[in-house]
Amino acid sequence: MGEFLTKLWQWSPEVLPVLWFATGMTVVVTVGALIVALILGLLIALMRISRVRWIRWIALIYTDVLRGTPALVQLFIIYFGLSDLGIEFDPVTAAIVGLGINGAAYVGEIYRAGIEAIHKGQMEASLSLGMTPIKAMRFIILPQAVRIMLPPLCNYAILLVKDTAIISTIAAPEIMFEARRLVQATFMHSVSGQIYLMCAFFYLALTLPLSHIAKRLEQAKERWQ
Amino acid sequence: MIEFIAGYGDYIWDWLPEMAIASLQTLQLMVVSFCLACVLGMIVALLRISRFGVLRAIAKIYIGFFRGVPVLVILYWIYFALPEMGYEVLVISSYTAAILGLGIHGAAFLAEIFRSGIESLHRGQMEAALSLGMTPAKAMSYIILPQAIRVVVPPIANYTVGLLKETALCSIIAAPELMLRAKDLASSSFLPMHAFVLAAIFYYIMSFPLMRLAEHLEVRMGAGR
Repeated sequence: MGEFLTKLWQWSPEVLPVLWFATGMTVVVTVGALIVALILGLLIALMRISRVRWIRWIALIYTDVLRGTPALVQLFIIYFGLSDLGIEFDPVTAAIVGLGINGAAYVGEIYRAGIEAIHKGQMEASLSLGMTPIKAMRFIILPQAVRIMLPPLCNYAILLVKDTAIISTIAAPEIMFEARRLVQATFMHSVSGQIYLMCAFFYLALTLPLSHIAKRLEQAKERWQ
Repeated sequence: MIEFIAGYGDYIWDWLPEMAIASLQTLQLMVVSFCLACVLGMIVALLRISRFGVLRAIAKIYIGFFRGVPVLVILYWIYFALPEMGYEVLVISSYTAAILGLGIHGAAFLAEIFRSGIESLHRGQMEAALSLGMTPAKAMSYIILPQAIRVVVPPIANYTVGLLKETALCSIIAAPELMLRAKDLASSSFLPMHAFVLAAIFYYIMSFPLMRLAEHLEVRMGAGR
């Protein structure tokens, strides 16, 4: 144990800067994928509550298939599969697109639950009070929906941070990729345990604040209800 | 589209049996690591509600750590780091490493589920059972656990869907399962799109009944409360 920590201390000046920059890439991919998921998810959610049946079906199948298959397979189809068909992405773009498409299935469900939780009568009531539909959305519907959606969205962001680890398989230079490369390139085999432990702490530095926020949002929601 | 399907022509009869066998390996990996996660998770959950502050703290750290870290970090730690750090005893097969990694990671999630199940019951039930002369172990097994099961089964069913998808990550440490087989077939045939799409279909076939079961249990177990 003592030896383990000594080595950790000795090697940290070389390892930490590499992991620090790699964490930047993890954050970039997480934020990028989150934005794709939030936008695409809205589209899926609106399709799910559409009046046209086949549009509902498309959204339902999208959600079910994307949730029923591993993100790794989806990522490989986008990165290796599409390049075989002549559509090539660089790893980071493929990662953002892949995780975003995957996330849209989850985010779409969160939106739908949020929209459906608000009673239809509220919209009708605000319209009958003379509000425009936009005003009703802005002052009545959205403030309530956001309170309901924020805690699960925050939980989804935590999942997303952890999912970014898989993009190391398509050589996107994030935490796990850089750590593995460090171990292999510099023959730091004897300290690989320390390096992967540091990786764990870099991930925790991202996920623990998020889960704290999620808990606070959940409490705020319960107080409000 | 037709061209794409025709591309399977030469390979499909070789691929189907191989992928079917690999799917069985995936299911086996899932079942064994699920059992490990259940046992470990129960221990952690009992520690988490223990009377001793130290044990509670240990369980809390375990849950916080393993929930905030990607499975891949744990798999790397078990499979690459432990042997590379010079613990020759700990050289294990990738399959064993995969089971241990998924089990240790899953235990943190299941522990929280178990705890919420136990805590959802009123304290008075335990006190009443004890005052009737039951031993704490008897009260647990006849009074508390049967009721707690209703609370914990739906989230556990959801967890198994996630676990199935997580097994795909084990291909990164070369554990024999569906994703690894798909990678092999993709590189030997130079048809990555075909191989990964087929893998996705196999994953969906496995997760489809699990997802429907999870939905069914959520409705059924939620109804009686």
